[in-house]
Amino acid sequence: MAEAVTKKAPSNKATVTLTIDGRSVTVDKGTTVLEAARSLGIHVPTFCWHPKLKSVGSCRMCYVEIEKMPKLQVSCATEAMDGMVVATDSDLVKQGRRAVIEFILMNHPLDCPTCDQGGECQLQDLTFAHAIDDSRFAFQKERFVEDGSVSTFDDVQIGPEIMLNRNRCIQCYKCVRANKEAFGEFDLGAFERGNITEINAAPGRQVDNPFSGNLAEICPVGALTGMDWRYKIRVWLTKTVSSICPFTASGVNTLMYMDETKNRIYRTTSRRNDEIDDGWLSNVSRYAYQVVHADDRLLTPFIRRDGKQVEATWDEALDLIAKRLSDIQDQKGCVCIGGLVSPRLDNATLYGFNKLMRHVIGTNNVDYRTEYRMLPQTPEDHYQAACSQPIRISDVDDSDVIVVFGSDMLKEHPNLYLRIRKAFNFGAARIFILNPYSTKASDVAELEMVYHAGMDEVALGAVCLTAVEKGIVSSDETDRLREAIAFDSASAAALACGLEPDHLELMARAMAEARKVTFLAGEIISRSREREPIAAAICNLNRLFSINTKGQFGILPGHSNSRGAHHLGLAPDPPASIKAKLRSLWGQYPDTETNTTDSMMVQMRKEEIDGLIIMGANPVMLYPDRAFARESLEKLDFLVVSDLFETETTELADVVLPLSSWAEYTGDYVNLEGRVQTASKAIHPIGDSRPGYAIVEAIADRLENTLYTAEDYRRDEIDTMLEVDTACPVPNLYVPSKGGQDEDDAEYPIALMIGDDPHHRGHYTEKSASLTSHVGEAYLELSPDLAAGHEIKEGDSVRIESPVGKVVLPARISEHIRNDIVFVPRNFPSAPVTSLLMRKRRIDRVRISKVVR
Amino acid sequence: MNVVLRAIGNVFWSMPKGLAVTFKHLFKKPVTLDYPHQKKPMSPRYRGLHYLERYDDGSERCVCCGLCAAACPADCIYMEPEENEKGERRARIYEINMLRCIFCGYCEEACPEEAIFLGREYEFSDYDRDSFIYTKVQMLVTSPRKDNPFKWIIRKVRRVYGVPEPSL
Repeated sequence: MAEAVTKKAPSNKATVTLTIDGRSVTVDKGTTVLEAARSLGIHVPTFCWHPKLKSVGSCRMCYVEIEKMPKLQVSCATEAMDGMVVATDSDLVKQGRRAVIEFILMNHPLDCPTCDQGGECQLQDLTFAHAIDDSRFAFQKERFVEDGSVSTFDDVQIGPEIMLNRNRCIQCYKCVRANKEAFGEFDLGAFERGNITEINAAPGRQVDNPFSGNLAEICPVGALTGMDWRYKIRVWLTKTVSSICPFTASGVNTLMYMDETKNRIYRTTSRRNDEIDDGWLSNVSRYAYQVVHADDRLLTPFIRRDGKQVEATWDEALDLIAKRLSDIQDQKGCVCIGGLVSPRLDNATLYGFNKLMRHVIGTNNVDYRTEYRMLPQTPEDHYQAACSQPIRISDVDDSDVIVVFGSDMLKEHPNLYLRIRKAFNFGAARIFILNPYSTKASDVAELEMVYHAGMDEVALGAVCLTAVEKGIVSSDETDRLREAIAFDSASAAALACGLEPDHLELMARAMAEARKVTFLAGEIISRSREREPIAAAICNLNRLFSINTKGQFGILPGHSNSRGAHHLGLAPDPPASIKAKLRSLWGQYPDTETNTTDSMMVQMRKEEIDGLIIMGANPVMLYPDRAFARESLEKLDFLVVSDLFETETTELADVVLPLSSWAEYTGDYVNLEGRVQTASKAIHPIGDSRPGYAIVEAIADRLENTLYTAEDYRRDEIDTMLEVDTACPVPNLYVPSKGGQDEDDAEYPIALMIGDDPHHRGHYTEKSASLTSHVGEAYLELSPDLAAGHEIKEGDSVRIESPVGKVVLPARISEHIRNDIVFVPRNFPSAPVTSLLMRKRRIDRVRISKVVR
Repeated sequence: MNVVLRAIGNVFWSMPKGLAVTFKHLFKKPVTLDYPHQKKPMSPRYRGLHYLERYDDGSERCVCCGLCAAACPADCIYMEPEENEKGERRARIYEINMLRCIFCGYCEEACPEEAIFLGREYEFSDYDRDSFIYTKVQMLVTSPRKDNPFKWIIRKVRRVYGVPEPSL
């Protein structure tokens, strides 16, 4: 009796019905037999097949028997046809698979005892499953020996974190295909043919792309293994804990392998979630766990005594905090206390921090955006509207036009970057990139338009005007739009921002004709001083092309819990709906002045804010004006900093509290879509560190105002807060989008862009040994022409000078970057690049010169 | 009455009978040994203190694969691998807790490298428990022992079934 299982299919797609192992299944036309079997829950063994890659059928392991076909068929490369009768477990199939394994084992060394894949090797499992215990091949196995190797092991390190053993390779090509199809990288290839086929790094290259860790993970055998896992522990001795990457805003799902007795995490692998990450991890997500076990973690609280920080107990530290905070409260009032919190902390910490500041202390000086310059005290309506738009990561896949604006996707949202590549490779997406500098995603882009730095809103205005002038879209309020953009014609705007009118027309036409548009803006916009006019320009573009009705648009949040921080009311002046909810939960809400990071720092300089609590943030290093941030914090009477490590900010603190990392307690995080995900506790807190929520609750207890009367209330209150609708309406009119510009300074001609390195994010990842083995020091990225003009060669020391600071960095010459721009990563404390920045500038300008020794 | 007489008779008869056995043994070779001056030769199949074998060139056979620890029913083996100067996998820490060990010999059977064997040593005693955690240095033989019967059996089995000697 056949049981009909119908896979939910869109009505416009043709379907086929086939029978697999006596069960009938209906699938979309074009589905492979393997996928049809999987949809029935029938396991067909594979080596080379990967759900997110194209089928090649190179391993022949997925043999099935199909009636009326003379030979066994590889199910991963056979399209399901109407009326097919498939057997996946017949004697013939078993015989075929047995032969395949015997053939693979012909050249596979039986060095399982020394192989790191042992215990999780698919070849090992399938060999056991098919009860193959002998070999009919008596001749010498093919062996690859590295020249000059003294080892009896044939391992070759082909990248900072990748170890290759070519003897073990079964030529499934999964690594090469993933590198090419999913990551768009070409540093790994297959060489030679037949018996001596080998996978190896491209000649003269290292496998060090930002997704290289995936190659070791997807290898079905031990041919590619990770250096961080090398000879550490056997997989069967570890326990897995599901977690979330705390460094990516998309909230990539991860699995942590830990040993309970040693309280140690050994590695991270992906936990495939098709809605978010497709099973790919960027190296930052993969190697972030090493931050937890870094040697210089803060283990005990520190208190400043006689100008020196000395070790203290938690009781001493908390008593001191309570005493000093109540002193400040009594003498100068609660408005003299402020709080800064990192948007990488979990919901319980963020909400507890908010309640501590607003309910217990009674101040509105709370902010989570410590890396943005010149945040105004009043909320920015258009920016909030653009930030709170609903975004779905999986909707990127079937968009037919994707526009990336002001975002270096690879560095900010690596998994969205892979989605965009996927939409290009597997879908029919046309990709347009608008950025002040060229980015890595340019190879899949139909057009990459690089505008002059600081001309973000003009570039979008030029697109709008082109669309109107060429009659691509009709608008009833053309004059109003022109007025809003403050340019009379498209050509004038295009000239101002340095874009080609033809390119603008192509992009406008594509967006107008598209069925589904995804428009993503990123950190370059958020970090800009003029984020409000740029957001207005985005809203205008949305209105003209009605993007939100036929797709999605928005400014993406920068950190793993930025959305959560916004929802939980961590902004100084949160939306009215959040305020109302907080008031109803707490019975009161402070009506004092609202201060952002920026205005708090101004007030600290005026000595109007005397006490500050910082959790997890490092404003001295990451605030875009180092001297300003440092001087402001130095003026404080009392500074409490809670962090994982000793940082530039903890140096100034009166009390330093050791904070637990995300792996040491269970916490919820809200990703950029608004999806709430849980990172489970993997290990016990290291040293005397405590989770963020425990710290804020302990401080509140000492201030004699318990945050939650019962344990459940914390969860209940957070759940209530997350249910609040915070979406701000998109303006229904064309809104003025003219942004201010800096005065030109001929002495400093080159625009400086500060961002993250592809292998780093923020100020923690520098502690991960695997990530620093990829990129371990700051550099200056500049174009070949600019380098030639200053006689700079690759690796030369270059002096970068701005009106306020000077930094010397090694040069790295890149073809991608424009002549009037340089890029510097901000992740390395050894290179204080934020000291070059000035908070009131829109674009920081510098001059460079070669250091002559 | 009969019962009483028989009992009396038994007493007088059984005493010389028992003494006869005793005196007979006076002229036999004793079964006990003058331990510790004399030692009993152990059966070739005796499972005593473990030792770690070396290759003929003197390098350690153990690659720290963890199979002995996985096979151990008493969970008394602990190991941590490392990469040696030649880039090969070797044990950094290899410890057996002899107080927990039940000398079942599963480790020997599980070992794919023919590195661990249960020897014939049975005299290990000490004054504190810590010293019963035997480390790699304590168990490693100084030179390859060729006399192990199991080694011979394993090699013979390999020859019979045509399994090549594991070579690295």
